[in-house]
Amino acid sequence: MTGGQPVRIAVVFQPGVKARPVWFELNQRQHRITRTTYFWKDRVGDTPLLHFAVVTEDNALYELVYNSDDQTWTLYPHPTE
Amino acid sequence: MDALSPPDGIIMNPRIVMHLDMNAFFASVEQAANPALQGKPIAVTGSGHRTIITTASYEARKFGVKTGMAIWEAKRHCPQLILVVGDNRKYTYTSGRIMEMMQEYTPEVEICSIDEAFLDVTHSLAMFGTPERIAYLLKARIRESFGITCSVGIAPNKLLAKLASDMQKPDGLTVIKPEDVGRVMERLAIQELCGIGKKMQRHLNLMSIYTCGELGRCDEARLTRKFGIIGRRLKQMGQGLDDSPVIPVGQEDDVKSVGHSMTLERDIDRREDILRFLLQLSEMVGRRARRYGVAGRTVSLYVRYADFFTSWGKQTSLGNYINLSDEIFKAALSILDSVELEQPIRLLGVSLSNLNHQAQQPSLFEEDRKKADVTKAMDEVNERFGSMSVTFGSLLPDREKQGSFVISPAWRPSGIRNVDVK
Repeated sequence: MTGGQPVRIAVVFQPGVKARPVWFELNQRQHRITRTTYFWKDRVGDTPLLHFAVVTEDNALYELVYNSDDQTWTLYPHPTE
Repeated sequence: MDALSPPDGIIMNPRIVMHLDMNAFFASVEQAANPALQGKPIAVTGSGHRTIITTASYEARKFGVKTGMAIWEAKRHCPQLILVVGDNRKYTYTSGRIMEMMQEYTPEVEICSIDEAFLDVTHSLAMFGTPERIAYLLKARIRESFGITCSVGIAPNKLLAKLASDMQKPDGLTVIKPEDVGRVMERLAIQELCGIGKKMQRHLNLMSIYTCGELGRCDEARLTRKFGIIGRRLKQMGQGLDDSPVIPVGQEDDVKSVGHSMTLERDIDRREDILRFLLQLSEMVGRRARRYGVAGRTVSLYVRYADFFTSWGKQTSLGNYINLSDEIFKAALSILDSVELEQPIRLLGVSLSNLNHQAQQPSLFEEDRKKADVTKAMDEVNERFGSMSVTFGSLLPDREKQGSFVISPAWRPSGIRNVDVK
């Protein structure tokens, strides 16, 4: 996966429930997330990465990745074709 | 008395075996993750430009798009086909969670591949009710958690459970009860049975055997004369009999080999390029072997040429067990040097077999011990920071892309068959 960029993001962490990204900022604009469509985990070495496929209110699809080691969020484009 | 029947006077309850098959798995996951793809013909491909279709959605299958097709061919069948580069880690995570769900209903779960498993639920009914209820619960949980569907077959054995799950796709549930087996098999075409391929079908057709009913009634001696020891097995398959057990996770036979292969982004013929990929494969094989404490005495090299159709595989056996990457590389190189390459190379594969599953003894020689220590340190760094964080210097220049990574049917969620995917 290439082309990720760190983002400013708001996420709800709630005991016993999967983290829920609420909005992120891209190009100085806040994008509200209407739906998390898919969630999966993997790891690079010891570091777990949590992946969220999300749809924003303008119906665009993004992938947000949380690195639980350094506690950063990265945004990836979602390519097809 | 048939060999599969219990002794007289003993009534045995039939087993209840379930086969669960995820429908168009990779494509379904992509459609679940991206609502814009739902209801559309999509195909999942590898990441390299020479990749093929790994899975097509049901919408694409209606146009004739099939697994294994070249992209140009798939596009010819379905010009509006949407291609999605597969994300193997998404699929292995999903598969792992689904396999965990299955194990909540029975410990007897045999994982066949990333998207298929057998469950023996014979002893789970007291807790969960009927097998149909278990199937509906599993289907509902998979749909709720991942937004994807599966087909389930329920039958008295693995052969029939697999057959049943294939009968209704997608999102099916088919039950073959013991009393219905004869009726189901009577007119079923032999090629519908798992294990009867095109070649076997041709041989059986030449014997005027077209249906399972005909196969089941065929004289066993006739089948044995033609096919040897599998003649008896074929007759049993025709009768819908199969006593093979569901082999739970962790009780499978030891792996016979550890191997990796890669389709290259471009055909290569320069020796330095070939050696670099050979070293990379040797490192991947060595690292996985060391991680699971196995060493092997036979190294094999597999080469497919640029024309796609020509290939060869050779092996060399050594006097001692090895799992250090440079030793695997040297053995693979000795095979390469014994062959005159006829064409540029499209695909390279290295494997280690004749395995010893015991941990290796430390060497008496200081030089060997130092090498083992360096390897151990490299492995520890790579475990912590990700594969190839530390590797051989000769692998670093331009780190050419290795082409598509395909999940092998032997992939499992854990253990030595768990291959790092990209």
